[in-house]
Amino acid sequence: MRWRVIGLETHDAYINMALDEAISEGIRTGSSPPTIRFYNWEPGAVSIGYFQGIRDEVNLEVCRELGVDCIRRWTGGGAVYHDSGGELTYSVIAPAGVFPKNIIESYRLICGWIIRGLEILGIEAEFRPVNDILVKDKKISGSAQTRRGGILLQHGTLLYGLDLKTMFSVLNVSRQKITDKMIKSAEERVTCVLMHREAGREEVYEALLKAFTEDKDYGFGAWNRDELVRARELAEKKYKSEEWTFLR
Amino acid sequence: MITHSSRKVKEGKIVKVEVDCEDVIKKLRITGDFFLHPEDVLDDIEKTMVGLKKDVSFETLVIKINDIVKNNDARMIGISPESIAEVLREALK
Repeated sequence: MRWRVIGLETHDAYINMALDEAISEGIRTGSSPPTIRFYNWEPGAVSIGYFQGIRDEVNLEVCRELGVDCIRRWTGGGAVYHDSGGELTYSVIAPAGVFPKNIIESYRLICGWIIRGLEILGIEAEFRPVNDILVKDKKISGSAQTRRGGILLQHGTLLYGLDLKTMFSVLNVSRQKITDKMIKSAEERVTCVLMHREAGREEVYEALLKAFTEDKDYGFGAWNRDELVRARELAEKKYKSEEWTFLR
Repeated sequence: MITHSSRKVKEGKIVKVEVDCEDVIKKLRITGDFFLHPEDVLDDIEKTMVGLKKDVSFETLVIKINDIVKNNDARMIGISPESIAEVLREALK
C-alpha cells in the first residue's frame, strides 16, 4: 500500500476537520489514497470530542473574545485547545484493515510513530492507553480515532509550546479529572516539546515526518479537486453549523 | 425535574448524565470524553432509556445497554455499560 503524505499546512478548524472527513469518504469510494497529513490551526481553536457537551467543556464567551474557533470533532475523546503556534497536528486515514483490529493496539501503533518522532528529537516518551503519550508522566500528545465505513481515521496533537493561560481560559477543565489523579493543578498534567528540548517547529515537524514515513511506501501528494470541494462543503454545511456544534 | 451526575469511571473516561425525569425518564443526555464505535450507538442507548421508570434497577439498565452494544457490534473504550448504568442510577436518585 502506498501512502500519500500531505506536508505541513495551515487551515482553520472547519477546513481541518472537514478535510479529514472528505479523505475518509474519498478512500471509501476509491477516489482518495491512504493519507498522512500534518497541519496547524489558524486561528487557534478548541475542538471537543464527538460525545462532549460544548457548554460543559468550552468557555464560549472567552473563545469569542479571543477569536478562538470552537468545533465538534468527528472523533470521541476530550476537549483540546489548538494553539496556532503551540502544537503540531497529524491525521492518519486509511482502510481499517491496515491496522490492528483491537482499538488500543491501533492507537499504540500510530502513537508509536509520535513516540519515535520524539525519540528522534531526544525526548523519551511512552504510550499510555487509551490515547495519550506521556513524557515523565505528563501528557505531551493526545489522539482520537473513529472507524466508519471501514475507514480508520486517527488524528492527534503534539504539544510544542504551552500557552496555559489561554488553554485554561478557553477550556472548562474538569475538576473530577484533576482530583482523581491526586494533583493540585491542571498545569502539572501537561508538558510540551520546548520544556524538554530547544527545537524549532520545523525540526519537530521534520522529526514527525521521518517517524511517520519510516519503512513505508509513500509519496508527497496534493489534494484532488473532489476532496477540496467536499471539504469546503462539509466545513460550511456541517462543521460550522449550530446543529453540529451544539449536538450535545 | 432535571438532575445531573458525572464521574470519572473506572475504565478511565468521564461520563456525564443529564436526565429529565418525573415518574419515568422523559429525556436523557449522556456526554463525556469516551470513545464508542460506531458513535451513533449512543443515540440508541439514550432513546432506549426514555420511558423507563425512575426506580429502574442498575441490573435492568446494564442488560438494556448491553443488548444495544451487542446488537450493533459496538465497542466502548474508556467506559462500559456498567459505568453508564452507575452514573445514570446516581442521577436518578
